[in-house]
Amino acid sequence: MSDEIEIKNKIKANSSLFTNFVKNAVTASPNVQNNFLEVSAQVALTVKKIIEDANLIMDLDYKGKDFWLENRCKTSCFIDGGVDKTSIISSAPLSIRTGSYIVKPDAEDKHREFFEESMVFLGDLYDPKNELYDLSDDDFDEDQMLNKKKDGARIIFEAVTIVKHILLNRKFDYCFLHGPIEATVMPFTVMGFPTFTKFAVENMLPFYNKNKLNAEARHFVNVYLEALNHIKKSKFPIYGIVETSVSAPYIKNLLYSYKTKGVISDKDFKNTLSTIKKYKITDSHLLEIILKSGQALKPIEIKKQIKGFSVTSGSAWEDKMDSFPSVNMGYIKTTDHSSPIRIESLMSSKNIKKDYEYILATARLLPNYGFPVGLNVVDKFAKIPNWMSKASRKYYATHLLKQAVKSKDQNTISLAVKILSKKVRSWRNRPLGGLAR
Amino acid sequence: MNKNKWQSIGTVLGETNIDHFYFSLKNYKAKKGDIITTESKIPSSEGNIVPVTVWGKISSIESSNAFFPTEAAQELTNENIDIRDTILPTTRDELICKVIILGFTLKDNLKLMPLNYPVCPASTVSYPSSEDVEALLISDLDSDHPLFIGSLLARDAVKIRIDADNLVSRHVSIFGMSGSGKTVMVRRIMDELLKKQYPMLVLDIHGDYLGFIQKQKKLYPDNNVKLFYPNLSVSSEDKEIIYTLIDKLGNTLTDPQKDFLSSLLEKVKYEGGSLLKYIELLAYKAREFASDSSKSFKNIRPASMYVVVRSLGQVAKKLKNMEQTNFRHRQKMSKLKFEELPDAGTEPEKIIAKGQLSILYLKGYENLPASAIVSILLENLFRHRQEVEEEIPPFLTIIEEAHNFIPSRSEDKDHLPSVETIRKVITEGRKFGTGIMIISQRPSRLDETIASQCNSQIIFRMVNQKDQRATTRDSETLSVDDSKQLPNLANGQGIISGQVVNFSLPVQIKFDAELINDDIGNENFITAVENWDDKDSVKQRKKFAKDFSNITSIDKRRAN
Repeated sequence: MSDEIEIKNKIKANSSLFTNFVKNAVTASPNVQNNFLEVSAQVALTVKKIIEDANLIMDLDYKGKDFWLENRCKTSCFIDGGVDKTSIISSAPLSIRTGSYIVKPDAEDKHREFFEESMVFLGDLYDPKNELYDLSDDDFDEDQMLNKKKDGARIIFEAVTIVKHILLNRKFDYCFLHGPIEATVMPFTVMGFPTFTKFAVENMLPFYNKNKLNAEARHFVNVYLEALNHIKKSKFPIYGIVETSVSAPYIKNLLYSYKTKGVISDKDFKNTLSTIKKYKITDSHLLEIILKSGQALKPIEIKKQIKGFSVTSGSAWEDKMDSFPSVNMGYIKTTDHSSPIRIESLMSSKNIKKDYEYILATARLLPNYGFPVGLNVVDKFAKIPNWMSKASRKYYATHLLKQAVKSKDQNTISLAVKILSKKVRSWRNRPLGGLAR
Repeated sequence: MNKNKWQSIGTVLGETNIDHFYFSLKNYKAKKGDIITTESKIPSSEGNIVPVTVWGKISSIESSNAFFPTEAAQELTNENIDIRDTILPTTRDELICKVIILGFTLKDNLKLMPLNYPVCPASTVSYPSSEDVEALLISDLDSDHPLFIGSLLARDAVKIRIDADNLVSRHVSIFGMSGSGKTVMVRRIMDELLKKQYPMLVLDIHGDYLGFIQKQKKLYPDNNVKLFYPNLSVSSEDKEIIYTLIDKLGNTLTDPQKDFLSSLLEKVKYEGGSLLKYIELLAYKAREFASDSSKSFKNIRPASMYVVVRSLGQVAKKLKNMEQTNFRHRQKMSKLKFEELPDAGTEPEKIIAKGQLSILYLKGYENLPASAIVSILLENLFRHRQEVEEEIPPFLTIIEEAHNFIPSRSEDKDHLPSVETIRKVITEGRKFGTGIMIISQRPSRLDETIASQCNSQIIFRMVNQKDQRATTRDSETLSVDDSKQLPNLANGQGIISGQVVNFSLPVQIKFDAELINDDIGNENFITAVENWDDKDSVKQRKKFAKDFSNITSIDKRRAN
């Protein structure tokens, strides 16, 4: 069977790309479907050729029992963060924690495994001395900002948890983070994104120069950069692992490097990129077709923070983007039925095959999901359950109302009530009508 | 109570009520069936808030490891990987216990009272000391005559006692599979009651209680232990029973033949005595009537009368066979002294007397005659207890393999006479001190009315779901959680519920090894065959068998 036919069959049989396409294109005509199949098969074929040309595919070894017998002496740490689900809109308080699951299989029972709440924070993470308490009239804007604050909080907490392990001189053989090792900071560079409180920064990064804790230094971008620079210096390998890629950074960068080498013309590069964008083709989609179970793509260096995006363009943080470290990004297809998982690291490893084999082995312990089981374990551990979120919301609500009533200022009280009732579409908050008339 | 000795083992979970609560248990700190406590507060009738200790029994424990995905098990199995070699967590088991609330006690008063206010969520659960649990059980039982039967299943140090007064008057049922510990339990109770000089009558089909005879001198020097074999002794008052016996044991009779039998029973007077002799007398008289052209029975043809004669002969033969079988079994135990069962009508004191244990050895008898024997015996004894001048003291009747005597309506095809008698005794027995203990491995086959009259139950391992359902149906105090436990009980482990205890308790029954009948031994047939040697008579037969066989085979003229 030729490569082209094989790829087309794979797209039709397994690919989430095709499933996704068909799901979204309910009214697609046979012609459109056929065209999509032709295009995506051609992209996959081309990318496959380039990947083979660059010798990027690694075959990983996995022999379940033997592997774990050999590796039972290794200490691994798995990190994930959780944010509460019912934070009060527009108010600064957040409940957030990061958990670490540290395990050394061959250790005695007492020392075999630890579940650690590495960072816990309840309170004003973001500085209230700014426009944060101004409520936006647009609910959508409000939600967007709240989500950004939560994401920012989780990202920073996960990063500083790794930093904490490094500072405590923990002897890990591996450290894995659930999520990218370096997140895109672009969403947090928007105007009005609040800075962290001094207290929060002091707790997150105790080594940070206290005298220089001005508003700029406390902004997400600077604090995150500081944390990443520390992570880069770690003595043990640290990997961020992402389930599915929603973009195509690997393929785009690979094509870019081939363009730079002069193998691909500017025109072909632009056209291909435009096709990838038009058909929403992601790394996961293409690599799911190209890679076989137990195969990996060697990491390539990728810059995550790119100057010139419409959002960051012209912002005060544009120049900072170059200061962020590059990421080594690879993929592993862990099982036949799952999309390849993305592996990110800030440093380049000499034992990349062995490292990837370790990741593959941990993912094989979750054979259907195909994701490292340690991250699944810590995900459950760190998640803030509903009952805890509700309790923390109640705690904040009481605190906020008490403070407002204490001020005896009618406007403050009204604001507190508005904040607390903003999201609740109960009949009390709806316009008067019906019986009231 | 010294609460300082109590160990903290868990925390009460969110929602509680006055019947039960759940708590999170520390690993390996308690087991199912354990008695635990938690401190709580209740409003008093005066409006005060009173601190109390709530007592409960762990009725189930569930363990889960939320951090161990099911998928992982699949990979471990397929690849033959030991979980301890992998990064999977092994120590995050969460243990959730369900506790049935037994009641509360006030400070310095161990009387259990029903809880009327929910226990406090998030409070600490403690593991009380064995002395305190035992003290609570004794105090709560409030019995003048406690009987020691074993220890709490989950805690060997906690001795369990049951109330003898309720046991002997309000009837007890003991159910469980074969070999689960029923007989051990009965022997334990008998041992205790003998020490209290309480009279007992045991209907023993298999000879399980003959150990009491063997060990009487050594273990019960102050008691009188009698071993009886049945004597089918009847009087003319027992006409119905005799009729049933002849009707069921003999040939099937037509209506005219039945009329003749009925009239025969009316006409042939009998002062009382052996049933066999009476039947022989009836057969003799019937033949007479048949041969003298039936002047007394004008409507019945002599042929019909001869059918009845033949039937009576058949009944007599069957009864003789049963007597002989019983005799042969008795012969095997030559060391034991068997006596003929005295006439319960005229000499009840020979069967029931203070300090006496009477064992009626029924081996070899078919259901119907055995039922007739038991029915006549109990009717007479009960009548003596009913009379104003009580000739015999209160006593306990122990009915082994009770489904043979009190089968359910669907099973009772022969209309066993013992069903009616036992139904009467068990219903009115409380007034007259004629308690009954029924023992069976098939509770679903028992008469429902009788089984439900037993106010206490002692249940051993039971796998058959029909029997489990029958057990919970007949018991008011056995909970669903208790019944779920039944298939998993080991030998000698049982659940006691009802009026002999205040709340159902899982118990390990004390095994009295010295009360086993040495002559019967275990059913170790493999060893029996291993040690088998033919008897002389068999050896002789085998010696010549080949020769005789040869004669037959070479005799060509012999018809095939």
